[in-house]
Amino acid sequence: MTKLPKCEDKKLGLLIDLDTCVGCHGCVVSCKEWNSSGDEKQLSDTNSHQKDPVGTFLNRVHSYERKNSSTNETESFYFPRSCLHCEDAPCVTVCPTGASYKREEDGIVLVNEDDCMGCGLCAWACPYGARELDLVSGVMKKCTLCIDRIYSEELPPEDRVPVCVKSCPTGARAFGDFNDPNSDVSKKVKERGGVDLMPEMQTKPVNKYLLPRIKSKSPVSSIGSVVEEETEATGLLGWVDRALSKL
Amino acid sequence: MHPAPSIILFTVLSGFGFGLTSIVGLLQFLNQISMVDIIIFSSMGLFFSTIGLISSFFHLANKKNAIKSMSQWQTSWLSREAISSIFCLSIVVGNIGWIFVQNMYISEVGIILFLLSLITVFTTSMIYAQLKTVPSWNNMLTPTLFIFAALAGGSILITDHASLVLLLIFAVLQVLFWYIADRSFIDIETTVGTALGFSKNEDIRAFDAAHTNRNYLLNEMVYKVARKHAVKIRYISFFAAFVLPMSLILIFPGNFSVSVLIIASHLVGIYFSRWLFFAEAKHSVSFYYQ
Repeated sequence: MTKLPKCEDKKLGLLIDLDTCVGCHGCVVSCKEWNSSGDEKQLSDTNSHQKDPVGTFLNRVHSYERKNSSTNETESFYFPRSCLHCEDAPCVTVCPTGASYKREEDGIVLVNEDDCMGCGLCAWACPYGARELDLVSGVMKKCTLCIDRIYSEELPPEDRVPVCVKSCPTGARAFGDFNDPNSDVSKKVKERGGVDLMPEMQTKPVNKYLLPRIKSKSPVSSIGSVVEEETEATGLLGWVDRALSKL
Repeated sequence: MHPAPSIILFTVLSGFGFGLTSIVGLLQFLNQISMVDIIIFSSMGLFFSTIGLISSFFHLANKKNAIKSMSQWQTSWLSREAISSIFCLSIVVGNIGWIFVQNMYISEVGIILFLLSLITVFTTSMIYAQLKTVPSWNNMLTPTLFIFAALAGGSILITDHASLVLLLIFAVLQVLFWYIADRSFIDIETTVGTALGFSKNEDIRAFDAAHTNRNYLLNEMVYKVARKHAVKIRYISFFAAFVLPMSLILIFPGNFSVSVLIIASHLVGIYFSRWLFFAEAKHSVSFYYQ
């Protein structure tokens, strides 16, 4: 069961556009909400309304700044981190109980909580920190790609996408089949050059990221130049400027 | 990585226990050990291995599914370890039982016991050595270190000269491990740049936290506390595990009561060494938090 399948049919995953993400944490909140609702599901919190609250999340958004080597200016970007549903998922093969598995039909990596013994080895094996052990239920939690939404027959068709994709206010997240060259996500990966995270770990992630586009002109220096222009104002403002300067 | 006492005790005690059974097995194969000694030292090995395995059981967050850990031997080193240790302990019990019932031992069983004990220690070490995410563990020095730790610890009570040689090899391996572990994060391809999809040499830093408090990932894999005392703990570990035991073996050769003191000191030293093995190990997820 922990042997990895080929997944020749479909490779479902997320395409995350770091150029568009504004770091609002909307995906984090909606993910937590969707995956904590219902009878059997839970992503627990401990000390939730007290000092030092801790909780289980399947998605986290980090904030970074990067020095643009061409303009020498610092640019900020936001980075949502979740399971990448890797083709060579190390979290699956290390599992001793068979609780972790990768679905052959669509490549989604899941945990069967009825088999998990909570040893935490899969979380150690994941380079990306995509798995968190739930301290209350004692089993490993991870992104399910909202398998209960994407195959739902009750939800309206437009809602049959992962909740993080549905809730993103800027459209920075897209869901699709990376095995189909004509899917929207595949086309975007080709057009914008989608990248893997830590390719050297040889996990072959399905999820791809679109990096922030290089900004040709630094926003900092352009603000500076606006201020400078104002000091040499012309027309009425120029007259006021000169008059005030003489006072 | 978080140095959980349950995991450290597991690797130290089960390593020592299987070390004892491997040495007993080897000497049984070579007909160099009495039946009484086989019973005494295999029982000790059984005791320590079992305590170690029970200790690892307490690390599990969902203990009721522990029995299922025997099922995935085809891919999982942890599963192989579970099967191998149970299988090895059954042979140890069978070997002792045979002596009680038949008043003799089968020397060929000794070689099986020797190999199976070392295979079990090897599977334990591979749980850590297989992880590409932890560069200081991800090499064949980790299993070598674990195997020689088991052999050296297991030989102290039973042999004199052999244990000195094994302790010396283990000490050299231990220093080599520390030397390589210190450099393991310098040479690797992973950087904060590759972690975020950029090239290796990007100038990137986090300017805000992803969450306001600590979480499972930080507690488990971005363990930093007391790394500042690492060098001192290395000295303590080296003294207790190697210097004191080897000196005592040289001063009091063949003295069984001193051997017990030697074992105590050695195991304390190994405990510190394994504490460092975890506490100093850095996981690739830490790049997201720097």
